[in-house]
Amino acid sequence: MTVPALELRNVSKDYLIKAGGGLIPSYRRHAAVAGVSLTIARNSIVGLVGESGSGKTTTGMMALRLVKPTSGRILVNGVDISQLDHKGLKPVRRQMQVVFQDSYSALDPMMTLAQIVAEPLDIHGVGSPREQTDEALSWLERVGLDRSYGGRYPHELSGGQRQRVAIARALILKPTVLIADEPTSALDVSVKAQIINLLQDLQEEMDLSILFISHDLSVVRSLTDRVVVMYRGQVVEEAETEAIFSDARHPYTRALLDAIPAANPRDRRVRRFLSVEEIEAATPRLARSELPEAAEPSQTPQLVSIGPGHRVAAIVTP
Amino acid sequence: MNLVDISGLTVTFSQYEGQVQAVRGVNLHVAEGESVGIVGESGSGKSVTCMAVMRLLREPQARIAADRLELAGTDVLAADRRTLASLRGRAAAMIFQDPMTAFDPVFTIGHQIIETIRAHRRVSKPEARAEAADLLRRVEIKNAETVLGYYPHQLSGGMLQRAMIAMALSCRPKILFADEPTTALDVTIQAQILQLIKELQAEFGMGLVMVTHDLGVVAETVDRVVVMYGGKIMEQGPVEAIFDDPKHPYTRALLASMPGQIGGRRRLTEIKGASPNPANPPSGCPFHPRCSLADAGCARAMPAFDVLTPGREAACWRLQ
Amino acid sequence: MLLYIIRRLISVALTFFVVSVIIFLMMHSIPGGPFDGNDMPVSEAVRAKLMARLGLDQPLHVQYLNYMWGVLHFDFGVPYQSPGESVIQLLSRAWVPSLVLGGLGVILGAPLGILLGMAAALNRNSIIDYFASTFATLGLTIPVFVISMLLILVFAVWLDWLPASGWGSPDRWILPIAAYAAIPIATYARYTRSAMLDCLNRPFVTVLRAKGLSENRIIFQHVLRNAAIPMVTVFLPMFIGTATGSIFVETMFRVPGLGAYFVSSIEARDYPLEMALVLMVTLMFCLAYFLADIAYAWLNPRIRVGGDH
Repeated sequence: MTVPALELRNVSKDYLIKAGGGLIPSYRRHAAVAGVSLTIARNSIVGLVGESGSGKTTTGMMALRLVKPTSGRILVNGVDISQLDHKGLKPVRRQMQVVFQDSYSALDPMMTLAQIVAEPLDIHGVGSPREQTDEALSWLERVGLDRSYGGRYPHELSGGQRQRVAIARALILKPTVLIADEPTSALDVSVKAQIINLLQDLQEEMDLSILFISHDLSVVRSLTDRVVVMYRGQVVEEAETEAIFSDARHPYTRALLDAIPAANPRDRRVRRFLSVEEIEAATPRLARSELPEAAEPSQTPQLVSIGPGHRVAAIVTP
Repeated sequence: MNLVDISGLTVTFSQYEGQVQAVRGVNLHVAEGESVGIVGESGSGKSVTCMAVMRLLREPQARIAADRLELAGTDVLAADRRTLASLRGRAAAMIFQDPMTAFDPVFTIGHQIIETIRAHRRVSKPEARAEAADLLRRVEIKNAETVLGYYPHQLSGGMLQRAMIAMALSCRPKILFADEPTTALDVTIQAQILQLIKELQAEFGMGLVMVTHDLGVVAETVDRVVVMYGGKIMEQGPVEAIFDDPKHPYTRALLASMPGQIGGRRRLTEIKGASPNPANPPSGCPFHPRCSLADAGCARAMPAFDVLTPGREAACWRLQ
Repeated sequence: MLLYIIRRLISVALTFFVVSVIIFLMMHSIPGGPFDGNDMPVSEAVRAKLMARLGLDQPLHVQYLNYMWGVLHFDFGVPYQSPGESVIQLLSRAWVPSLVLGGLGVILGAPLGILLGMAAALNRNSIIDYFASTFATLGLTIPVFVISMLLILVFAVWLDWLPASGWGSPDRWILPIAAYAAIPIATYARYTRSAMLDCLNRPFVTVLRAKGLSENRIIFQHVLRNAAIPMVTVFLPMFIGTATGSIFVETMFRVPGLGAYFVSSIEARDYPLEMALVLMVTLMFCLAYFLADIAYAWLNPRIRVGGDH
């Protein structure tokens, strides 16, 4: 088996939260992410979905090492980066880039688009200034903007155009991994499809691996190969995208799918919503004998394999 | 009687760059108990249309002109401040996109609902408080009495949007404007809020204007759809007709570009180009620079509405 | 809330302590001493004796501890400039003109500034707004001593309506009060305007209008209450900030107040007086920030009630 582009092994992140307001405040640990493992195979797009507070963004930031994990390992192309310091991370940063939802605040308003796109080349000392500008202009073209945009500033662009610039800047160093955190959520409907198509095209052309963090399941369905569902800091289900849509096993995944608005008014229905307690109570219980792979019985949910590439958080009964 | 009666509405903003026409000749009618969805992208003029009929735009930076601009039978262009204040919240209520910033942070939820009730009706404070608690229970907030004493920062976005709906309904309005009420919320909460709005609309028999960029929200909630682009209406009609048989190229393109309709990773049908710049809109039909069917005539003038069937209209030169 | 107050008090006490140490060290590290001046020529022996009597020959930390021990007993020592009385006596005499003039200046200026700022915010881009903005900019950019000179020039020299300087009869107070008031009017007008505009632009104001509340209720109950939150944090310390203006105003109008002694005590290396004055200003600042914090917490339910979702 080939080495995955990105692998998280049992990664956790705890934050200290103020618990008591006495003279000397007391703190308690809150696990924003608790023991998450996920793998992005080379040349694939994996969707990471979940509600706000599920830990999906923190997971993405840990993969980038913009947030240091409390425990666990992060491997990029097989190399463990979880303990690297600032200097050691610099070559890794070339391999791994990020695009955010709010591209406006992510682009320096005082720089021209050519400068913005060329900046990573400059930081990593690739090529002469002239070559850097040439490369930046050809990247603007590649993401669907005219070369003449090179002299413009971020405020002159629409949201979709800014997102194209952010993508060009992220990909100019030819990384192997791209983390995309809700890159289409702030975009107009007619532009959203453009950016989704751009990401698909670039992924194929560059043999790129993408972690696509999103709460929009419709976009995830059209864009990704696999889906990982997070709920309250943990992975509750993962499978190939179509298996998630056709054969979801975890109650939270089903709740998410059920919440997708109808695509046609004739499909309207009255929904019943599950409370947190109901979701927990509905955690699947699977008999050990039925599982295709060996698993120890447990009282708390654990991720178990239930089919090819399909894992779900379940309580394993003897 | 129409609850909303708008003809020939134009809204112009004075900005540094000059005059920006956000709404250019919109006609909109909403009957009693009817639910209408206004779909459009940012800059299409959908929110501005609703804000104009509520007279909530900041004037004189925004200049409103219309042949007719009526809300629950009152001419809001001619109305004075007092008349407007008595209409708002009572005949017509509005809820907004971001519930986290929609409440005054220094007063409790209870205070803000009670002050709404008492601004319009002569009821004592204890009575208003009891009503406020009932309203919170109606929007499915448990421990309503406790929540009345909460400050906005103590509640989640979903809970705040419920409280906002309760406040909007406190004077039993005849019409509710909902401006992207679920955009800022999580997927599951979105579905809950939409279902709640639908239920309450039926229960209270109110008119509903749902402003959204999300075709899914429209498919879920309204009877009639108005599609706006570049400050103008492109097409309108019953929701099933719009989804089954869109006539305007923009509506068609919009529906075709919805992601996730078919299983499997695939390229989506995209609409080329970007939304028009309101400060410098294209001539003629605003969609023509992005339209695959456009010809020279489309750039020359905006077409008139073709009435296809009663209540079903589209404005496109290529329809003939 | 009570715990919050206690925590703030502790931090105020710490701040006060740190500031007092820094000031003490700085003051003594300025080259020169009280008996180095040409106007008080003394022999080496006399000088050493004097230094010993005043305790100035001891190590700095001992001097500091001795001093602070005295301060705790309200003994600030004897001013070198006027050895006939204690620092406390001198200060209680010099307080009066400063408090009367500065206090009246701020008490009259602050509400005027706030009203001006409100009027400007509520009538944005109108004549009132332009007038207020121009006035505020002038008030903030023209130094106090220039304002004082202009006032003297116009009202005392050209028009000859009012006396130019001195202390005593109330008609002599008017010009210094006007000079004192210029800064509060300008700053308060500016801050009130921006705090109000900031609040008026927030989405909840649109919601309040959509609920059908009257404009008066929106402005006076909701907007003002919210605008007050950033305003108190700025205003209370600013109140004290006017104290520094007293140096110029009292020098220009020759008022025998604290400001005048501030200048002379630094020139004369009059450590006890200087130290007492600086400590007093520090204490007032600390108290102002303390009160501002409390007011801020009281006005802001996020701190008062806590429990962020």
